[in-house]
Amino acid sequence: MSELVKKAQEAVEIARKAGADDAWASISRDRSVSHGYHEGKLEKVHESTSRGLGISIYVDGRYSSHSTTDLRDDRLASFIREAVALTRALQPDPFRKIPEPHLFEGRPTLALDRLDPALASVSADQRLAWCAELDARAHGDARVIAVESGVFSGESEGASASSNGFSGEWEGGYLGYSAAVTVREDADRRPEGSYYAISRHVRELPPTETIAAEALKRALDRLGSRKGPSAKMTMVVDAQAAVSLLSRLMGPASAAAIQQGRSFWAQKLGQRLVSERLTVVDDPLIPRGLASRHFDGEGISAKAMPILEAGVVKNLYVDTYYGRKLGMTPTTGSASNRVVTPGTKDLAGLLKDVGSGIYVTSWLGGNSDSTTGDFSLGLRGHLIEGGQIGAPVGEMNVTGNLPELFQHLVTLGSDVYPYSSLRSPSLVFEDVNFSGA
Amino acid sequence: MTSPDPKSTLSFFAVDEGTIRQVMAELTARGADAADLYFQHARSNSITMEDGIISRAASSVDQGVGLRVVVGDQTGYAFTEDLSLPAMLAAARTAASIAHGSKAAPPVALNPRGHRDYYRINRPWDGVGIADKLPLVERLDQLTRAQDKAIEKVTVSYADSDETVLIIDMHGNVFADGRPMTRLWAQVTARKGEETQSNSANVAARQGIDWYTEERLKFLAKEAALRTMVLFDARRPPAGEMPVVLAAGASGILLHEAIGHGMEADFNRKKTSIYADMLGKKVAPDFVTIVDNGTQDFERGALNVDDEGIECERTVLVEGGTLASYLHDGISARHYGVKPTGSGRRESFRHMPMPRMRSTYMENGPHSREEIIASVKQGIIAETFTNGQVQIGAGDFTFYIKNGWLIEDGKVTAPIKDINIIGNGPEALRNVTMVAADSKLDFGGWTCGKDGQSVPVSQGIPTTLVSKLVVGGVNV
Repeated sequence: MSELVKKAQEAVEIARKAGADDAWASISRDRSVSHGYHEGKLEKVHESTSRGLGISIYVDGRYSSHSTTDLRDDRLASFIREAVALTRALQPDPFRKIPEPHLFEGRPTLALDRLDPALASVSADQRLAWCAELDARAHGDARVIAVESGVFSGESEGASASSNGFSGEWEGGYLGYSAAVTVREDADRRPEGSYYAISRHVRELPPTETIAAEALKRALDRLGSRKGPSAKMTMVVDAQAAVSLLSRLMGPASAAAIQQGRSFWAQKLGQRLVSERLTVVDDPLIPRGLASRHFDGEGISAKAMPILEAGVVKNLYVDTYYGRKLGMTPTTGSASNRVVTPGTKDLAGLLKDVGSGIYVTSWLGGNSDSTTGDFSLGLRGHLIEGGQIGAPVGEMNVTGNLPELFQHLVTLGSDVYPYSSLRSPSLVFEDVNFSGA
Repeated sequence: MTSPDPKSTLSFFAVDEGTIRQVMAELTARGADAADLYFQHARSNSITMEDGIISRAASSVDQGVGLRVVVGDQTGYAFTEDLSLPAMLAAARTAASIAHGSKAAPPVALNPRGHRDYYRINRPWDGVGIADKLPLVERLDQLTRAQDKAIEKVTVSYADSDETVLIIDMHGNVFADGRPMTRLWAQVTARKGEETQSNSANVAARQGIDWYTEERLKFLAKEAALRTMVLFDARRPPAGEMPVVLAAGASGILLHEAIGHGMEADFNRKKTSIYADMLGKKVAPDFVTIVDNGTQDFERGALNVDDEGIECERTVLVEGGTLASYLHDGISARHYGVKPTGSGRRESFRHMPMPRMRSTYMENGPHSREEIIASVKQGIIAETFTNGQVQIGAGDFTFYIKNGWLIEDGKVTAPIKDINIIGNGPEALRNVTMVAADSKLDFGGWTCGKDGQSVPVSQGIPTTLVSKLVVGGVNV
């Protein structure tokens, strides 16, 4: 048994001795390092080693959760005893119980490969060399006035233990780099473009060249940006921008949101919610996946589950508490890797088929209402003219309703965005409301 | 709470002068233009009432020290949650690795410094038990449910926190600050027939438990219910450019996004802000004065000293239409050769400080709300907001309107909802055509994000007309 599991079990034991019926403790340790370059020079180094403990306490049908970074034995013990006393002052909640042990059964053993052993040996000199490469390549145009580049990484380990027999451990790591480029347009306007890559494994990162060149391209692409028209048009959303749009759609797909009356997914299980082109699977068991895991925060054993299959709602994110309130079987309360089934054409192919419309490369602000699905988002991108990427546009909004928008999803690309746990290709929507000039 | 004195705060963190001297010597061993230790102890508590039951409570303790070395515009930073001498010395060595010079002189003696107190509360939060808080939460739940019979769900969330901060700079100056904060939310879901709507309202301040009067709870309950019930009749405006009337209070979000961020001196020092070459230039009509102020009693954005130990002040960003001053931290103040403005802030001991806003607002103008609305042929009033964002260099900013109103022929005709507004900072300032005399700060709690760091802020504005912004809407 690892030292961390032992420490989590000790915390559970302190809570039990203080009168808790049940307790669930998690403990974690992380180390992170980041280097930031500005205009060819090291600007900042940030390094940290961090640790913390979280504990959930169940007393006489009452519940509370607590966290601390002060792990000295005597302080921790008094912290937990105070937490138990505080819990007694709350009201009993008949739906609140520690997750049932049968949910822990069948834990997968597949190697998730979340921690690259090579990560620990990436030297400071190597990081600085990458920063310099990113900086040099991103300066590849006379109009560039500032470049910031950075290399960041982290490693973590953790363990959980419960009073009803759960124990588990995890580890993970990541390495990434980024570049942000500002170019001069006229006396005042200084458009910017940025790009980054992140991976669990050092060797899976693309060359720094790719990231810096993309950041520079994105900045230069903004030059001469104007408002597009206010009109109903076809919208092509690039794969990176599709990630946050899909997150807005999927966000309220939970028992918690539905039970609180704040979800447009209510009453939709088994029914068609969006276009039949859309299939999304929650898959926690992808080796090296950014959100891969063997069990979730409640100890529920991980397995792949379809959320949307050809536009029909197959499963929801159901945790034990809101599952009990709604009379639904728990699945998991939190998303892991969400994988969208891609189409067959690349971005150029999609644009060619579309002919004219707006190609969105990134969002700027905006929000959505999880109850009704109404949304409105600022955007930057390009006109699509003659099936090609045309003049840059900005200062525009797209406005509508999320389930309606996704009913108008007509095509998906083959170009899946790799640097997110939500893996989506480019998306094409028809009849979208744009506001501009 | 009464601001703690520096000496007793040292013992609170179980460190003495000798320890500080040793750590500071290690931190500045390879040279430094500036260096500081930032000790922080934060205790926070929250309570949630849902479906008529106090269903959960949470508490957390977060403690540590951040160590920083600045050489020119280069920063080395490390932190540790372990306040033992060996752990602090190790972190100091890590932070010092950015420097390559010779030893800077560590302080010979510590010099405790005093400051004003803008948030002196009667009962410090660490002396308030849960038994005093539960009745507030239950009362707000009850008041909110009683507002309308269409209300189906109410969630009340309560939070308080107490922060003790100890800042020691390389000259031995020691600043201590006690920073209280509290916030109370009411979230409402209502149903009429097949239609469900939800919305929320909250109040927040650097205040104590006595601030939650029956009157304040009633106000919050009513506000949350009104904001929700009006959505049943709300529509989307037509899409495109039109005049936007910013209602007094929360609409200060426009100032925060359209100019506030662009005036943070780090972006200007790096030439990445659209405002980088505009200091001293006319950017708005004469009646526009925009201020960022850290000295307003009990405001969420108030600070006695910033996170570098600089006393906060009232900084005028735009004076009578002319761009007057950036917001400075120590690094940018040294770069520009000016006095720091007390704007160096950080989320916690885990983060390095940078120039940030505190409470940003516009002062009163010469017009009235009535004449502003009457002057608009076809436009909207923006009233409540969820969030905003800006592109510093291009100057494009957005904010999201949750509730607002349609204006047709100078009259308020119908409620609107869920639309994003987008504009360009300098253009929007030039297009401020009318400002009323009803300036006020919003009562809700705002949090500003920059470079992955969140800090509490306030914002406000009088009723203001911007003649042209792009309004999200429908194409008919």
